[in-house]
Amino acid sequence: MSEFYQLALTEAILLGLLSAITGTVVVLRRRAFFTVALTHAAFPGGVIAALLGINVVLGAGVFSIVLVIALALLSRVRRQGKQVATGVVLTGGFALGMVLQSLLPAQANSVDTFLVGSILTVSRTDVIATAAVLAAAIVVVAGWGKQLVFSSFDPSGYRAAGFAAFGIDLLALGLIAGTVAVAMPAVGSILAVAIIVGPAATARLLTGRIALLMPLAAVIGVMSAVGGLEISRHWNVAAGGAITLLAAAIFTVVAVATALRPRGRTAAA
Amino acid sequence: MSIAEVAQIFELPFMSRALIGLVVLAVAAAIVGLFVNLRDLEFISDGLTHAVFPGLVVGYLVGGTSWILAGALGAALVGAVILTLVDRRRVGSDAGIAVVLASMFSIGVVLISRSDGYVAELEQLLFGRLLTMTDVQLRQIVIVAVLAVVVVGATARLQLFRAFDLRGYRAAGLRDLQVDIALNIAVALIVVAGSQAIGNLMVLALLILPVGTARLVTRKLVGIVPIAVVVAVVTAVVGLVAGFELSVSHGLALSPSAVVVLVMIAVYLVVLLTSQTWLWAARRGARRRADSRAQNQTIGGVPGRTVQGAP
Repeated sequence: MSEFYQLALTEAILLGLLSAITGTVVVLRRRAFFTVALTHAAFPGGVIAALLGINVVLGAGVFSIVLVIALALLSRVRRQGKQVATGVVLTGGFALGMVLQSLLPAQANSVDTFLVGSILTVSRTDVIATAAVLAAAIVVVAGWGKQLVFSSFDPSGYRAAGFAAFGIDLLALGLIAGTVAVAMPAVGSILAVAIIVGPAATARLLTGRIALLMPLAAVIGVMSAVGGLEISRHWNVAAGGAITLLAAAIFTVVAVATALRPRGRTAAA
Repeated sequence: MSIAEVAQIFELPFMSRALIGLVVLAVAAAIVGLFVNLRDLEFISDGLTHAVFPGLVVGYLVGGTSWILAGALGAALVGAVILTLVDRRRVGSDAGIAVVLASMFSIGVVLISRSDGYVAELEQLLFGRLLTMTDVQLRQIVIVAVLAVVVVGATARLQLFRAFDLRGYRAAGLRDLQVDIALNIAVALIVVAGSQAIGNLMVLALLILPVGTARLVTRKLVGIVPIAVVVAVVTAVVGLVAGFELSVSHGLALSPSAVVVLVMIAVYLVVLLTSQTWLWAARRGARRRADSRAQNQTIGGVPGRTVQGAP
């Protein structure tokens, strides 16, 4: 097994595990649109980093934090639709990325990498960054897991119990931002959302028990990432696309199966 | 820059085509965007822009540029129905949309990654070709945009009823599935009309930003669409001129649609700041008036005397 493939495989496994943790948070807190917006809008961060010659993941990560703050501020404005703020961040970030991108014509290839990703060319630094965010995610879940679940299901109860809702929300958003940033070099800014949300959403369909969500999502996540990598190697298609399609296919099969099952049961009864 | 110079820019045939295309799209998107805003359908609209993408790719792979529209229309209808159904399943619908969106999009990416030179193709499909639009494409955009407005217009009364009073709507014995699908198809048609010209992802900005800006200015329903149209048309002109200037005088090959969107964002932010300051000042003024009234009463009706600095 060649070294670059080994790196890609390590990255796939780490991403699968990380997406299980972050994805569960996203699904429980209903932050999928925000995640999509962040994956699209973090793209200029990568471009700026490339312009300045610093690490792309770092650029995307820092820019994601800026976006989280912008979104938190825009969401405080009443008298507009609930999702307008997210839409503004999404379209604005993406347009900024497009404009900045035209400033670096020589590196057009690397920009394309931000969009659809290229897990086969991830660097050792990218893998280390993914591992670091995974470690941070584990710490967050171990330390604040209960608060995360409580505030997801009963925000007003959480506030009434005397906890700061803003802090826990920021923690969740930060976790999402970090995951988006490290996923970008591997699966691209547009497709990252499938690997982040897909496995957790599938797990949510399979079980109603919170404790089982993350382990199930982890199994599905690693399966999709590693399986997609193998598919892309055998059939010569874009690796990011193959990984997302596999994650989506698993979700679809489970969704259809669970949709059919209750109806069959009532028919029998 | 004088008005004559601006007029001169738009005398160039490719610039005038771009302007006409953008204005038609802006008007149609403002009308459909009103309902997107009222129903909080921004995420579904984003899903539709992604869902149309594989259609563009399949159309392109089957028959080149002239088949893109057919492919996009097909994908738009499929996407609109799937997303409507996913959205109706209440449990975790948010995540469901995300999965549908990303998977439709990755179908497009995987398909196009099989063809040669896919980087350039992908970028064209994503970002559009505003300045190289042909007359045929312009005509297609107008037809599809008008179709979207007709779909929304025909169901407008039902859409409003449904948006403001879902319970009343259901109690009146009306079905919501058809209206939902109609609205999502209208959004999908706007996406189709826009994706060739201004790019698959930039259509979303046209749907969200002008109406979002208008809602900050007025709360009257009849006022939102005209204001949104004005905002969209003005930003389109400014963005096109700015993009033209930057590329001609400074040699920057900027995507014109991206410049238009950034101008829209700037206008939104300026209006947002102004309206928030206005609200804040109005609220402060009201509080001060209330305070002085209360103080006048405690002093016992001596006119004009207020206690400064009293707790």
